[in-house]
Parts: sequence; structure tokens; C-alpha cells
Amino acid sequence: MNSLIELNNVSLYNKSGIRLKGINISINCGEKIALIGSSGAGKTTLLKLANGTIFPTHGEVRFNGLSISKLTHKQRLKIGTLWQDLRLIEELSVCQNINAGALGRHNVTWSIANLITGININECSKYLRAANLPVSFLGRNIRDLSSGQKQRVAISRLLIQRPEIILADEPLSNLDQFLANKILNTLLSVNTDSTINTAKTCIISVHQLDVLQNFTRVIGIRSGQVVIDCDTTDLKDIDLRNLYN
Amino acid sequence: MAVIIGNLHLGGLNTLFRFFISSFTPSLNSQVLQSAWNGLQVTFGFAILAWSLSLFLGVLLGLLGSYNLCSFFNISPVIATVIRRTLTVPRAIHEVLWGLLILQICGLSPWIALVAMTIPYTAHMARVFSEQIDNISLKELIAIKLTGSRNLESLITAITPKIIPIIATFGFYRLECAVRGATLLGIFGLGGIGTELQLSLMSLQFNQMWTSLWMLFISLFLLEKAIEWIQQPKFYINNTGVYTITFISSLIFSILISLLLLNYLGINFFEGLHFTPIHPPNFYRFIEAFKSLNWVQLILDTLILTFVASCIAIGLPPLIFMNVHSNIGQGIVSIILILLRLMPAPLVIILLLLSTTPSTSVVALALGLQNLGVLGRILRDNINKQGDQLFNSVLSTGATNSNAWLYGRFIQESISYLSYSIYRTDIILRETIVVGAVGGVGLGWQLQESLSSFAWEEVILISIVFVCITLIGESINEQMQKALLGIKRTNQFSMLKI
Repeated sequence: MNSLIELNNVSLYNKSGIRLKGINISINCGEKIALIGSSGAGKTTLLKLANGTIFPTHGEVRFNGLSISKLTHKQRLKIGTLWQDLRLIEELSVCQNINAGALGRHNVTWSIANLITGININECSKYLRAANLPVSFLGRNIRDLSSGQKQRVAISRLLIQRPEIILADEPLSNLDQFLANKILNTLLSVNTDSTINTAKTCIISVHQLDVLQNFTRVIGIRSGQVVIDCDTTDLKDIDLRNLYN
Repeated sequence: MAVIIGNLHLGGLNTLFRFFISSFTPSLNSQVLQSAWNGLQVTFGFAILAWSLSLFLGVLLGLLGSYNLCSFFNISPVIATVIRRTLTVPRAIHEVLWGLLILQICGLSPWIALVAMTIPYTAHMARVFSEQIDNISLKELIAIKLTGSRNLESLITAITPKIIPIIATFGFYRLECAVRGATLLGIFGLGGIGTELQLSLMSLQFNQMWTSLWMLFISLFLLEKAIEWIQQPKFYINNTGVYTITFISSLIFSILISLLLLNYLGINFFEGLHFTPIHPPNFYRFIEAFKSLNWVQLILDTLILTFVASCIAIGLPPLIFMNVHSNIGQGIVSIILILLRLMPAPLVIILLLLSTTPSTSVVALALGLQNLGVLGRILRDNINKQGDQLFNSVLSTGATNSNAWLYGRFIQESISYLSYSIYRTDIILRETIVVGAVGGVGLGWQLQESLSSFAWEEVILISIVFVCITLIGESINEQMQKALLGIKRTNQFSMLKI
């Protein structure tokens, strides 16, 4: 299989000490990976390293064989991130925020037009519906939405980017059980609208262990180190107990 | 106050009384009205031109002076540091001082008022904008950049909506300052309503003076209300693009209208400037100039003036609001605050000097009263935004109205009020050069004397000393503000370089 993202002997230190140590992970095309571990274990840091927000102190991160620090904007377009804190622009409308995910495919005139008035309505509507929000939300202001609704706008922004790989940091945290399942299915490209090209590969950090059967692989992190890396079918209860104790 | 009262003379009091009575009978003579109206248009024309130019340049330099944006565009932060450091000098010099200096070199020309205001306002706006941009959370910008968007598109989408509210609040506030600045320059002979005020005061034509004053008060009051209306968040939230385009179009339109208006009023910007060559200063004459001036006294007077004026401006508003509770009383206080804010300090000094002798106390009182108007308004507006719960709960314990105001209202605002007051002392220090020139005190007075006698070495030395004092004051105040608010500056892009 083709390696999409590789973390080779990656370590990250900062003033407060070791954040990640000796991480070796290879993510292949088509894999659906669940990233698990208790709070503060290093899941968010690992995702930030994988998308190039931060760079490792030692080791290297590669995307499609290229160093993550040297990607062009077109190559970056292929990596989609759903942030834990969502990072929506509160001053803009839902439609303008969704379009912000598609800026990599358009020029500066398009970005100015998006700022003046919400454009690209049809496509925005499609991705908003995919994230389970009605089209009537397009003109709404982000500040007026609940945290669950904001979460779904962030997912729409991610989907419109049409990335090859999705890195999602706790995307189910603000959602009820029913909605969480629907959103997870969308991110994992299960039972979704055929007109929506979702990524074939994804790494999703989750706290709900009952959703693990939807993934093909599980990576568990404890104190900055990988302690579980196996197919979901091979995951044992004792591994989970060790991870959280 | 004791010094002022001790030096009072009755003849002057009578003149002062005539001045106040004339406020009810302003001259309605058509020539006077026409002249005041023309002066007002000139002042507003210059103010809008200087404000527009300084806003445009200020935003540009503010962006370049932002450490976070330099980091985002992979530009060396040295550029931001150089821009910030370079702008401290033009910022430290008051627009009137710029006007007087350029006037000596270029002769009387309409450009002087424009350039004199644009230089310090640009520097001031650039500083505020760069600091504000550095305080904006750039997480959204990073998120959009990582979707594969190019730098410019990311910046337009993620940063413009955050900068626009800053421009809407601080930028428009500077327009009010520009109108006051243009009026002040007029008092120093550069035309407009300020010159009208100065001429009518010098000839003791108080009815004519009040015609100009009322016109100025009404127009500034209307401007204040218009700015409050434009600043409403409902206009830019969700409509950032439309608001920005409307704003830029209005700016260009205002510049064109101002230029046409000034041209119609006979002010020709394209008249040639008459440069007066300044001979390069001689080192020995510098030494002589340095020895000839009593620096300790001049600096001490300036510092005392700043201190006393700051005490009046900062200390009185809480005392007034603590003791005035009735609606009528508060209404009267509001009107007095408007009048204090709108009356240029040099005119207050001239009025006070009608009945007393020049002294630091007179100048400090005039300067303090004008700034009291500004600080009083800010304190009142912020307190009006509070809820009544805390005030009522303190009142229910049996506390007097004054104590309930102190514990139930002021205590919530005290930190932000003090923080703004510290910033205001910077402005008061800068204004000492102007009021000092009129009131015969400190470095301002000496500068006026040296300019009148073309003693360039003295002018240069005084300007350098004044800039140094202002910068030291600014630096001390910055540290005090940080300590008060507990600000810790962080580079949001530092995480990229862990």
C-alpha cells in the first residue's frame, strides 16, 4: 500500500518537557484510524505534527514522500484538519466560513467576492446538508450558533476542501449520540451522498470506545508514546485497560 | 487653585463674566456667520484629509509593524522592530509642534496643516493597529493557511474581518481627534475655525467667538453621534466585505469632496512652497544654546504641569460621579463634560489669563479640565453599560449612594479606567508643548520663544529633549499598564518553531 503520511522516529520537546517521544507511524491510503488515549496523552500534538502546524524536534514527518515543511499550497490542499477548537471565523457567516475551506482552489478575486457576499451557494448547501444542517443556516452568523452547530459548520468547511486525508481532533465531542454516528459516517465516507467526495483516509481522535468498530486501525497514545498500533480486530481489552490506567 | 485665586483681579473677572454671558447671545450677523461657517468647513476639510491619509498609511505601517504578520509572511521581524522604533519619534511630537517647525522651514502653505497632522496621526495609528493585530488570535489564519490557501487569500479571509472592527472603533475615534487637532492648528494661525476663535478672542468680540464656538460644539456633537452610529457592530458583523468596500469608497469620496471644498474656499494646495534654507547647525552654537537655557527648570515645569493636569483629569471624574446622583445633576455634568472636551485648552488658558497671571497652575488647570472632559465621558459610558445588580446589592446593605457607587459601580471599572488614564497621561505630556507655548510654562514656552527668534540650535535641542521625555514617559506608562492588566506578550507563531 502507498504511505500517505509517515512519522519517522518523531520526538517533540518543549519547555514543559517531552510531548512526544520516538513515534514511528505510517498511514496508508484508505486506512481509517482511531486515535485514542486519555486527555493530555499527546493526541492533539500528534495531529498537529501530521498536518504541519508544528515541526518535530527530532525525526521527520512526510506527506506523499515529501517533507511536511516543504509542501506547496496545492499539496497542502490534500490534508484536511478538523480542529478541536474548530477555528471558525466568528465575524463571518456560515456560508463564508464554509467557502474558506475552498480558498486553495481559487484566486484572490474569489476570496474578496466571498468576503463581500456569500458565494458558491450550491456547493455550500451540499456540504452543509452532508453535515446535517439545513440550508437555511447559510446566512446565519457563527456567533449565533450552538457549539454542536458550529462543529457541523467546521465539518462542512473540511468537506468542501475535498482532502485526500482527514485529521480530525475529537469531532464528536459536542454532539449527541445520534448526530455523532451520522457525522462519523460522513467523515468515514460511509452511507454518504455519492456527490460528496470524502477522503478515503482519515485519522480521528476519539474518546468514545464504542465507535472503534467503525475503524480499520487503532493507535493508542500514553504519555507521548505509541502503546497500541494494531488492526481494530486485533485490539484486546487488556490493551485498552493498560492505555487508560 | 490657591495660586490662581491669589492672583485674580476683578477687571479680568468682569471680562470673564462677559464671556460667559455672551454664550446666550452669539452674533447672528450674516458676515460673522459666513466667516465662521467657512472656517468650520476649512477645519473639517483639513481634518478629513489628514485623517484619511493617516488612516491609510497607519493601516499599512501597522500591518508591516506587526510581528505576527512578519512571521506569517516569513519576513524578518527586524523590519517590524525598525518600523515601530522609527515611528516613536514622529508620534512623540505634537501636531502643533510639527506645524510650527514646518512653518518655519516652508513658509505659510496649506500643506503645512495637512502634513503636520498626518505625520503624528499616522505614527499613532500604526502603533495601535500593529499592537491590536498582534493581539488578534491567529488560530483561524493558521487553520485556513493549512487548507492549502495562499498567504494573501488566507489573510483577506481570516484577518480582514478582525481588523475592520478595530478600524471602526479606533480609526473613527481619531477623526474626532483630527477635528480637534485642526482647530488647534488654526489657533496657531493655520486657518479654519481655530483662527476665527483666536481672532475674536484677541479682539474681545465674545459674541462672535460664541458663534464659532457653538458651530464647533454642534458639529463635533453631531460627528460624535454619527461615529457612534457607524461603529455599531451590526453593520460589519456578517457584512465585513460590504462594510470594507463602503468604508474605502467613503474615504476616497471624502478626500475628493474635501479637496474640492477647500479649493472652492480659496485654499490652493498647488501653490508653490517657499522654502527657507536652514544653515547647518554649528557645534559650538549648540554648546552655547545648551548652556544658555535653564534645562532643569524647563523640564521640571513640564513634568509638574503634566502631573497636576493628570491629577485633575484622572482624579475628578470618579469624585464627581460619586457625588452626583440625581438625573438633573447628571444631565448638567454631561453638558459640562461636552463643553470641557470641545473647548481647546489654549483658548481656556487665554480666557483664564484675562483675570489672572501666567503660571503653571493656570496651564495645568486648563489642560486638566480638557482631559477631564475626555476621561469623564469614558468613565460615564463604561459605567452606563454595567448592570445594576451589584450597585443594588451594595445599596441594600444600607450604604449611602456615594458608597454604593464606589463599591457597586466604580470598582468594576477601576482597572480599565486606570489603564486608560495611564495612556492619557502620555497625551497630556505631549500636549504640554502646546499649552506651555500659550501659557508661558515649560519647554513649550521656551520652544515658542526660540522659534520666534530663529534660534535653530535651541529649537533642535528642545525638540530632542521633549521627544526623549515623551519616550521615557511612554515607556514607564507601558510598563505600568502591563503590570496593571497583567499582559504577557506571546508570539502566536512561536509554536511553529518548537
